[in-house]
Amino acid sequence: MPIALSSPEARSEVRRAVADLRHLLWFRAATLRRPRAVRVALAVLALVTVAAATLPARLIAPGELDRLLRPGLVAVVLVGVGGAIAGGGGRELLARDPVSVHPISPVTDHLGALVLAPLSAGWLIQTWGLLGLVSAVGGPGALPVGVAWVVAATTLAQAIGWTAEYLRRRRVLAWLALPLIGLGLAPVPPVLAAVEHGDAVRRALVAVLLVAAAALLVVVGAVVAVATARRMPRDEARRETSHHAVRPLPSSDLAMLRRIDRASVWRSVPLRRGTAFLALAPGGVALAGGLDWSMLALMPGLVASGCVLLFGVNLWCLDGRGLLWRETLPTRPRTVLLARAWVLVEVLVGGGLLTLALGAVRAGRPTVAEAAAVVLALVVVVAQALSAGLRWSAAHPHATELRSARATPAPPLPMVGYSIRLAVATTLTGLLFGGLGAAGRLDLMVPAAVVLATASAARVVRAGRRWSDPVRRAAVVAVVAG
Amino acid sequence: MTGREPSSTVATAVDVAGLHVRFGTVEAVAGVDLRAEPGQALALLGRNGAGKSTTMRVLAGVVPPSEGRVEVAGHDVRAEPLEAKRVVGYCPDVGGLVPRATPWEHLQLSARLRRLDGWEARGRALLEQFDLGAVAHRVTAGFSHGMGRRLSVVLAALHEPEVLLLDEPFDGVDPLGVEATFGVIEDARARGAGVLVSTHLRDLAVQVCAEVAVLRGGVRLATVSAEFMTGDEGARAYRALLA
Repeated sequence: MPIALSSPEARSEVRRAVADLRHLLWFRAATLRRPRAVRVALAVLALVTVAAATLPARLIAPGELDRLLRPGLVAVVLVGVGGAIAGGGGRELLARDPVSVHPISPVTDHLGALVLAPLSAGWLIQTWGLLGLVSAVGGPGALPVGVAWVVAATTLAQAIGWTAEYLRRRRVLAWLALPLIGLGLAPVPPVLAAVEHGDAVRRALVAVLLVAAAALLVVVGAVVAVATARRMPRDEARRETSHHAVRPLPSSDLAMLRRIDRASVWRSVPLRRGTAFLALAPGGVALAGGLDWSMLALMPGLVASGCVLLFGVNLWCLDGRGLLWRETLPTRPRTVLLARAWVLVEVLVGGGLLTLALGAVRAGRPTVAEAAAVVLALVVVVAQALSAGLRWSAAHPHATELRSARATPAPPLPMVGYSIRLAVATTLTGLLFGGLGAAGRLDLMVPAAVVLATASAARVVRAGRRWSDPVRRAAVVAVVAG
Repeated sequence: MTGREPSSTVATAVDVAGLHVRFGTVEAVAGVDLRAEPGQALALLGRNGAGKSTTMRVLAGVVPPSEGRVEVAGHDVRAEPLEAKRVVGYCPDVGGLVPRATPWEHLQLSARLRRLDGWEARGRALLEQFDLGAVAHRVTAGFSHGMGRRLSVVLAALHEPEVLLLDEPFDGVDPLGVEATFGVIEDARARGAGVLVSTHLRDLAVQVCAEVAVLRGGVRLATVSAEFMTGDEGARAYRALLA
């Protein structure tokens, strides 16, 4: 039964949700595998945040970055909302299946998703970039406005994410929630003005208004989360009850393994949504922004690092508990690994090519060097992403079955580590090839690609050798299959 | 129909001597000896953590033994892992199903990797026997626990293995599923396969197995006839062994 927001029941529900959130966060912290590493990682993230917020004001000349502030403010909203709609409610404090037996309310779930929202490379990089811009343009005095903007955008994205999931569960196209993004774009001009020319009073007023809006959005998000939780997760239910036509037996072991692995990707709701989002969103941005070829060289890295985070960092999660049975099948471990790597490469290359095809529409006719730069960037970042995925999958397996649309292949903190490491490696690669392509240095580009691809290939071979070790394999099975 | 007929020359289906399995500092199995002849069904009983499932995983080729000799149908699981896996059918104690593959795709995977010919009729018959025919082409993620258990037994039995390993096959399974599992065990015995059944359900174990091995703390305490473990007397004897 609906209850009024100001009623004693609603207040009691909020108090309970906050208390449950505290317990769940404590549980998460208490069950960390490497608490010291996590403490170090959090300290590093905090340091980088402080550096991003303070250094630009000292190092960058006034006026140099003013033109980037508006796109920076807009990007935080666009990326947050796009991710929230695709993610269907944000990150989960605990996986859906184990948590389903506990009386955890949708409000707790909503608050948990908000608390975990910063644990994503996309959110962190956007935030660092924006705080740096705000600091460079408006000085340290404008930072409260920047922080308040990030908080408000995050709560708006979460509320729109729940709205999209509500629509989805009512059999309505989730992307119909997208126009709500206007709520986040409307305040851009006054916020921009406050950062660029505002005095202390005006900035304080804008910051307070943004925080108040964020508080309201937290409440709105909670209400929509409650309404959403009353409905069946339609996509997951449909996928888990769908029938699939019989296909003839393939001609080789590898083909059979590949077929099962491919099905595990494309029949999983989070992987389908994530892959589609990553294949279309960056390409759409490139198309809308009319990026040139040197900028397009960055795109394959962006897509590859995003796609590998969908399942590649914990490749065996595609089998879930079925890995235990699969390990008893008489086939060479190398064939199993090859099939899994093949499917990952398909996703990475497919997403990258689609992005490039969209971006190429307005990029004009490339020179030979520019075309080579984009192609080689794609090849190298795919090799880097594959080698990283294989290494991390063997070294740090996690038990997850990717049944929920919000599931991730690893817990939030390791995901942050993976995503930042991937983003750094693939962005540097993209910058290298984009720069060499713009300079027309085909002679340097090819050797660079050979060196980088060979380094990744050597790591892939090493990962294959490790997977052939039955003791290491048994350890992975023990974790993934329980 | 199968790619491999049971070998009539194999004297012992399962031969385990001095098996130790260590996970870091934890010794999950601390010197187990087991033997099952072709055509014999042996039950493994014991409390949680007794080492039953770990022993089964070693026999299935998933966990390498830290020490000791382990042979299935004459193949050393460490020296001949692929040959050993070909002759074993294993129903794991937990899960055991690829969540987004259908039962038929599981059967196809097993058949392809084991080079089975003409397996489809047996596959269909087993699915019907276990009341899974109607869901043969549905992904297993939405299966109930009992359905998953039943499908795991089907997968273990498809290739008519020389060694059938069933770990908790009755857990959460309805009476018809239990009957179907009994049928699979009887069939396996009748064609000369060795069968190991690990379970907590002593009553069911003694109905289908001739002998019972009791494990405690990673070692085998005793191997007795199923008759000894039957009824109230058997229950008392079992409790005494576990105490």
